[in-house]
Amino acid sequence: MTRLLHVLVLGLFGAGIVHIAVLFLLPLYTDRDAWAQLSDLGDYYTVTTIGGGAATTPLVRSVDPLFAAVACRFDLNDGVLHVEAEGRAPFWSMSVYDRNGQNIFSFNDRTAADGKVDFVVLTPVQTIEVRKELPERFVNAVFVEADIDDGIVLVRAFVPDQTWRPAIETFLGGVSCTSL
Amino acid sequence: MLRTILFTAIVLAIAIGGGAGSVWMALHASEGIGAVQIGDWTAFPDVGTPDADTYSKARFAREGGLALGRAEGIAFVAPRDSSGALLRRNCTYTIEGSIPSSRFWTIYAADADRVVLPPVVRRVPALHSYEMLRTSDGAIRITIGPDPAPGNWLGITGSGSMQLVLTLYDTPAATAARVFEIELPQVLKVACND
Repeated sequence: MTRLLHVLVLGLFGAGIVHIAVLFLLPLYTDRDAWAQLSDLGDYYTVTTIGGGAATTPLVRSVDPLFAAVACRFDLNDGVLHVEAEGRAPFWSMSVYDRNGQNIFSFNDRTAADGKVDFVVLTPVQTIEVRKELPERFVNAVFVEADIDDGIVLVRAFVPDQTWRPAIETFLGGVSCTSL
Repeated sequence: MLRTILFTAIVLAIAIGGGAGSVWMALHASEGIGAVQIGDWTAFPDVGTPDADTYSKARFAREGGLALGRAEGIAFVAPRDSSGALLRRNCTYTIEGSIPSSRFWTIYAADADRVVLPPVVRRVPALHSYEMLRTSDGAIRITIGPDPAPGNWLGITGSGSMQLVLTLYDTPAATAARVFEIELPQVLKVACND
């Protein structure tokens, strides 16, 4: 009887350890996260449609049906990331995610300088470098300082109704994701 | 000897089975850790951010989404109506009341995996605040169900369970500290086509 109790207590103790181990390892070993899904669709700096009419990814479900969205992966070890687009939308917003798909920075069109998509993602060290001599093309850009290597940038735009769809798709189609 | 092996096997079975099972259960509970409950609606304001707790992080890694940031908005999910019954696609519901201040909001019906339900023929699968008909005091009333209704109607088809997703964009309510202060409309069941 004591033996059985011993086995039970030991088993529950082990269950606790397994529970904690699984919980902490899950985010590290998942192959279903946003990064893995985007990796299947394109290389770094490839602007991929992940929501809206033309989208086919499972990531679609993280995008509202009334939105269209594009994303690209980047590596700040290659240099600073410059994301820009011409044109306007009734509402757009952007987010920077780290390698694990966690949102580390976001802003929307009202936060941006003149309502245009024009921002630079860079590490604190790169910020010091860029500040020394601000390149001409970064003059109007919003600077997003992120202490990460790999990451994902996502731009969403609101599509109020179907007549807006072509305009929004042109707008998001013009999003460029370049490493400098 | 045989007893020792048997007992070791039992210990391992409890440890691995119980450990994995308890994680699975914790991640599938909709009223999980980190959830904020407002009336019939649930939100996870920290999910997908570095501030999230370990359970939210693990859940998020399995779902593989990209969460809205604080400056973008916040999504509320209602899997049940105000009486506590699961929402069903062959029932009609109304949502009545005011919605917290935001630049605009959208509402749509989704299945248990948050995949948007297909719309009724030639309609969009979601409604948004710019196209709402409002009552004289600015409140809204939306009818959600398979049968066309006057006013604001979100048409749904099929059968089975569903959940409603209300997303507020560009709203001060998106910060975790403020999310407790807001009020959301009730989801009331009207009738079912059984």
